[in-house]
Formats: sequence, structure tokens, C-alpha cells
Amino acid sequence: MSPVIPRRGLTLSVLVLAAVLASVWRLDLIAAFAEGQDSLGELFGFLQRFAAPDTSPAFLSKVGQGAIETLAISLIGTLLAVLAGVALALPASGRFGRLGQTASRFMLNLLRSVPELVWATLTVLAAGLGPFAGTLALALHTTGVLGRLYAEALENAPPAPETALRGAGSGAVAAFLYGTLPAVAPQWVAYGLYRWEMNIRMAAILGFVGAGGLGAQLYYALSLFHEARAATLIVAMLLLSLLVDALSGWLRRRLVVA
Amino acid sequence: MISLAALSVAYGDSRRALDGVDLSIAPGERVALIGPSGAGKTTLLRVIGANLRPTRGQLQLDGLDPWALSARQLQGLRAHIGKMYQAPPIPPRQRVITAVLAGRLGQWPLWRAVASLVYPLDIDGARAALAPLGLAERLFDRCDQLSGGQLQRVALARLFYQQPQLVLADEPVSALDPTLARSVAVALNEDAKRREATLIASLHAVELALSEFSRVIGLREGRIVFDRPAAQVRSADIDALYAGASNPAASAESSLDAPSAKPRLTRCA
Repeated sequence: MSPVIPRRGLTLSVLVLAAVLASVWRLDLIAAFAEGQDSLGELFGFLQRFAAPDTSPAFLSKVGQGAIETLAISLIGTLLAVLAGVALALPASGRFGRLGQTASRFMLNLLRSVPELVWATLTVLAAGLGPFAGTLALALHTTGVLGRLYAEALENAPPAPETALRGAGSGAVAAFLYGTLPAVAPQWVAYGLYRWEMNIRMAAILGFVGAGGLGAQLYYALSLFHEARAATLIVAMLLLSLLVDALSGWLRRRLVVA
Repeated sequence: MISLAALSVAYGDSRRALDGVDLSIAPGERVALIGPSGAGKTTLLRVIGANLRPTRGQLQLDGLDPWALSARQLQGLRAHIGKMYQAPPIPPRQRVITAVLAGRLGQWPLWRAVASLVYPLDIDGARAALAPLGLAERLFDRCDQLSGGQLQRVALARLFYQQPQLVLADEPVSALDPTLARSVAVALNEDAKRREATLIASLHAVELALSEFSRVIGLREGRIVFDRPAAQVRSADIDALYAGASNPAASAESSLDAPSAKPRLTRCA
């Protein structure tokens, strides 16, 4: 006597199937495949030209420079965001009264709700093309994300150690450093490293809107149909993000767990 | 010199945690506060430690009203008051040495506190504070690697390192086994004797209060029931103090809904 759940599953399946069929019909996918024999061949040809990456030393050294630039953008952008995130998280956790909390939370929401790519188009306009604009864009968005997480960590930290130190005559800053920081520091570091992993990927993309690094080179290569160069750049991006993942994982194990 | 005159503390409702307490404690006295739970022991310690502002009445520490001082003066006053708690307020991830050195944050300038976080500045001082407690070799361990009893001794070492003129201990040994409880109570008293500091501790263990301290104050329902040298406390005093509230857990419940709580409620109203 339990026909309810199977019937619901059936309804759901029918609805999903209908949605898929409607999408295929709406996008004219069948017609596109039917008349697209040569466009499919074109696609394979395009992909084939990616199979042989450009490995000339001159180009590789240029890619290397781009990779270093991307790494620097992500690292400095994230570091700036960690500092600004802490600076905003302290008032956002309610340490400096109601007004400071409301103002800093509004700031964090604003910074966070604008995506990196939108920030980058703005910073490119404001600061000109190049890595500085990319760094700034990453720092702005990441500050919003980290500041909120940092503030939550502060709110969840047990208050007793800091209160006890204040009760024994310690100044506010010293009491925070000795009482609350040990509880939140591992989380702060872990969040910062995690955002760094995300930002290395984002730094590679930001070049598309003119904010420097590997992304800018990839954008030029694709615009000029240099598929071999584009392939080299994509591999470089992949290696770079693997490297950062490994590095951040190693740091996390050293700093957070130990 | 600590003096309280007609001091009352009322929390939000009409209930009074302290009700017209008159008390004076001379420098170097070692006072045990005993009484059933909810008697106001913690509130009294918080008032004397200038953590809680009395609702009515006067508190004077060495002739000064702490609540008439500026924020900076109050901070300076607190630097000479050491406190101990039932649960040591030490971050679990902190190293033992840092937790001990934190005892002097009230005396150190900020640059010194920051520098000591990077590299501990007074390793010998921390070791000297830990050594009599048998923890000198745990100096660089993290506090979450210690047992509850060891952690409470680290809190004690922090207090020794602070060298306060007034020690306020709120149930410092309640979470420890009897042997360890006695050794911590003895260590607190020895330190106070040696430095001629004033010690006020609230205790559940009556026999520790009678054997280790010089003066015993019995508190119940926010009032002082008796206050006399430890040697002159009779077992009738103790029985009267805890009468009808022998079990702390039971008394906490009964004060809410049992008939025994009624007279108190009507009196306060």
C-alpha cells in the first residue's frame, strides 16, 4: 500500500524527459546535427590542431613569464584579501558596536556579490590593462568572501579566554591575540589557502578581460587562431593550478592540522 | 584591603544574587567561600574582581572604588588581580608556555606581547612557574595534549607568573580528583602565604576550606551566614549552611519549583 513514492518518481521522470525534449526542440539540435556533418568534421579538425602544443623555447619562456604573472596575481590578490578580510571581519563580528557591524557587513556583501570578472572589467577601466587590475579585482571579491567567513569564525570562537585575560588587566589587542586568535587562526589560514586555490584558476581567466597573466595570452592566441599556442597555454594553466593545489594542501597540513 | 558595605547585586528579575553584604578582608588573608550552589559565591568573586558592577552598596579595593576609576586605571587595577576558574579559560591550541606568559599581559606593553607570540620572551620565567607543579617538561606542548588536571595546573602556573596581590579562585578544584584538588588548594595557599597576597576561593569541598584556609565565610541565598576563623567553624555551622540543600544538583532544581523556595520568593517581592 505505498504507491505514492513510485508515482511521484514517475511524474518527475516524465517532467524531466519533457523538459529535455523541449530543450532539444527549442535549440534545433536535431537539425543542427543532421546538416552539421561538415561542421562536426570542422570541430574535429579544430581539436586536432590543439594536439600539437607549441614548444618553441621563445614561446615557452613567454608562457613561463605569464605563469609567474598569474601566480603573482593570485598570491598577492589573496594575501591582500586575507588582510582586508581580517580588517573587516573584526567589526563585522560586532566588536566595535552596532554601527561598525552594520557598515562592515554591508561592505562585505557588496564586495562579495560582485563577481571577480565584473570587478576586473571595472578595475581595468580604473587602473588600466595589466596584472595590477587583475590583482585588485581578485582582492576585492575575495575580501568579501573571506571577511564573511572570518567574521563567522570569530562569532563562533569561545569568548571565555579573552574575557579572562581582560579581567586580569590585559589590553584589548593583547587579549585578542592571546585569547581568541589561537581559536580562529587555523580556520582563517585554511579558508585563505582554499580561496588561493580558487583564485589561481580565476587569475588565469581574468586575462580575458585584459587583466594580465596567462589568460591574456590565451585570449590573443585564440583570437589569432594559434591553436598550438593555445594548447601550450592551457597545459600551463593546468600545471599551475595542480602546483598550487599541492602547495596549498601541503601548507594546510603543516599549518592547520599539526 | 577589600571592603564591601551593604552591597547588593540583582540580576534582571527581582532575584538578588547578593543581598546586603558587609565584609572586609585584610591583606594576606586566605578566605574560603562555602555554601550551597546558587548562594552567590561566584557573584561575590566577580564583584570583588571588578568584573561585575554592584547594583547597590559600596566596594572598595585599597580604598578605591573601581567603578569610579577611568578605563585605564581599572585595567591597571585588574592587572594586580589574578583569577582562576573551574574550567581553565585557555585556548586548546595554545602552547603551554604562551598560556603561562599570558599571565603578565596586564603588565607588558603591547609590543612585548606581540613579540612574545613570535618567540617566547621569558622562557625561564614560565619554566620557573611550571616547575613546582611538575609540568616544566611540558613547556612547549600544546594545551590540548594535556589532561584536565594538567590544564588546571597550567592555569595555576599562569597565576603564579602573574604574581597578583589578590587571587580570586572560583571553584578552582571542583573538576579535579580529591588528591589533585588538595594539591592545587595547597599550592594556592602556599603561594599566597609566601608572597603575602590575599586569596579568596570558593569551594565545594568543606574539609579543604577548613584545613587549608585561615578564614571561612558561609554564604547562602546572597547573605553571609557565618564568617569566622577556620579553626572556630563548628560542624553545626556547616550543617545549618547546607540544610535542605545537601545535594548541589537537587538544590538547583528545588530552588525553582519546590515549596522550600517559596519563603525566599515572597521575601524578595
